[in-house]
Amino acid sequence: MLREIIVIALSAILVENFVLVKFLGICPFLGVSKKTETALGMGMAVTFVMAMASAITWLVQEFILVPFHIEYLQTIAFILVIAALVQFVEMVLQKISPGLYQALGIYLPLITTNCAVLGVALLNIQREYNFINSLVFGTCAALGFTLAIVLFAGVRERLEMSDIPKPLQDFPIALITAALLSIAFLGFQGLKL
Amino acid sequence: MRNNEIVSYSLRLFIITFSVALILAVGNHITADRIEQLTIQLQNDARKSVLPEAADFDEVPLEGLGRGEYKLVNSVYEGKNEGATVGYCVNVVPKGFGGAIDIMVGVDIKGKITGIKIISSSETAGLGSKAERPEFLQQYIGKSTANTLKVIKNATPKDDEIEAISGATVTSNAVTDGVNAAAQLVNEKILKVKGE
Amino acid sequence: MGIAKEFSKGLFEENPTLVQLVGMCPTLAITTSVTNGIGMGLSTTAVLIGSNVAISLLRKFVPSKIRIPAFVVIIAGFVTLIEMLIKAYFPALSKSLGIYIPLIVVNCIILARAEAFAYKYDVVKSAADGLGMGLGFTLALILISSVREVLGNGTLLGVQLFGENFQPALIMILTPGGFLTLGTILGIKNWLAARKKGVSPDA
Repeated sequence: MLREIIVIALSAILVENFVLVKFLGICPFLGVSKKTETALGMGMAVTFVMAMASAITWLVQEFILVPFHIEYLQTIAFILVIAALVQFVEMVLQKISPGLYQALGIYLPLITTNCAVLGVALLNIQREYNFINSLVFGTCAALGFTLAIVLFAGVRERLEMSDIPKPLQDFPIALITAALLSIAFLGFQGLKL
Repeated sequence: MRNNEIVSYSLRLFIITFSVALILAVGNHITADRIEQLTIQLQNDARKSVLPEAADFDEVPLEGLGRGEYKLVNSVYEGKNEGATVGYCVNVVPKGFGGAIDIMVGVDIKGKITGIKIISSSETAGLGSKAERPEFLQQYIGKSTANTLKVIKNATPKDDEIEAISGATVTSNAVTDGVNAAAQLVNEKILKVKGE
Repeated sequence: MGIAKEFSKGLFEENPTLVQLVGMCPTLAITTSVTNGIGMGLSTTAVLIGSNVAISLLRKFVPSKIRIPAFVVIIAGFVTLIEMLIKAYFPALSKSLGIYIPLIVVNCIILARAEAFAYKYDVVKSAADGLGMGLGFTLALILISSVREVLGNGTLLGVQLFGENFQPALIMILTPGGFLTLGTILGIKNWLAARKKGVSPDA
């Protein structure tokens, strides 16, 4: 069982990196990645939300949706859980780290619409993971997201100082950089787990 | 927020949520039948494609499906043509990399695999998804159910070996496990029982 | 603004994908084939019109403090309805779009339009806005997926375009291809916009 957990963890962070391989979590990835400190803060917030969301949505599916045959309410139930969690994180962050709260700005409530969060909850169910595996997958997927976003911020910080042709400035060069990072991560596909 | 504000807001949110849930219940009721029919249709089509010689299919009620040794098996159907049995179709659902892989395996009365079809899977695009291609699935056809198939890499496969898709070992293993489960079931519960 | 303008702004000037830069996730994930792009675009448009109309109708009933959860529930409701319809009547599309159908819920375009428009304006205008934004999104998806499908698979709408000897650049339909295509299109768009203004693109 430990082996299974390690496989899930490594896959989530590298082979199936949510941002650079699965395209989940792009909006905040492109929006909050201009400075490494902000990126790290965002990553931590998302990790907390994704871990808790994985756990709670799994419980909701197992003990409410399935026994009552209301699986079709899955999307609504899950998104409500996520919205509530984000609200909670917002309140906590406002109290213990107002600096980070300001820096993240509108991107904090936007964690609700971060496809990575809902995506991981849905994938846990689709892959029929048990509770522990879901929790591991959710947490590691978020760590992979954090890794990608911090790497990307580092690159973008350097790019700020380079001479980039005007049409490519800001978004286009960011996307092309992401493409290169993504190619690098493609290398992990051959990882025999 | 003042207390009566909290109550009023919660009530409104509840009303909205409840109404939406109600509408969805209706929607579910309307579409559920059709969705189930489509699934049955898919299974029927899969059976015909893996055992082309059969004209009719009857379900074989067997004890112990979905548990223990036969955990991966969903259903077994007997394929007949003008009253004579031509083979069996076993529906197996092994766990792949991205969840359950729905497979239909056809076996003739001599214990040879006549066909294999992947009904649905959520394997990695470009890697595990290659399992749905004929180049991979062809390997299973004609194999005898007497042997347990093994997955190998980087070598020419022998009679009881299947070559894995490079970069998709988990998927290759899963499909082979499914086929082995189907083969084992047909051997032990059907062919042996009939004394062949 | 007149209704026609509310509709047409979503197509070009305020195109959600290429100008507002929202709704990126499905844009990059689903554009591996034009058929998928059209399917996703139209499904999202349906949800967008539905949610814009519903939210516009309910705007007096929903207090500002709880508007975000309310929006989210309504949007999720429409997405689930569309999901049921697609599973029942378009199973092939359901199979190829997979998990991205429920993910329409978190497509920022829908929440953005609800917040910026439907909550403030009347039903007819909101419907027009939804239709325009949705079609603009669909057009962007078609553009991106055409590039990726032709270069990455050698087909367009499933039809083989080139002869046997064409080796498609597989990377175009993999993840990096998505980033690259969108980045390049945006770069070209910026360049064209600068030229139109008569400004040197490198200023």
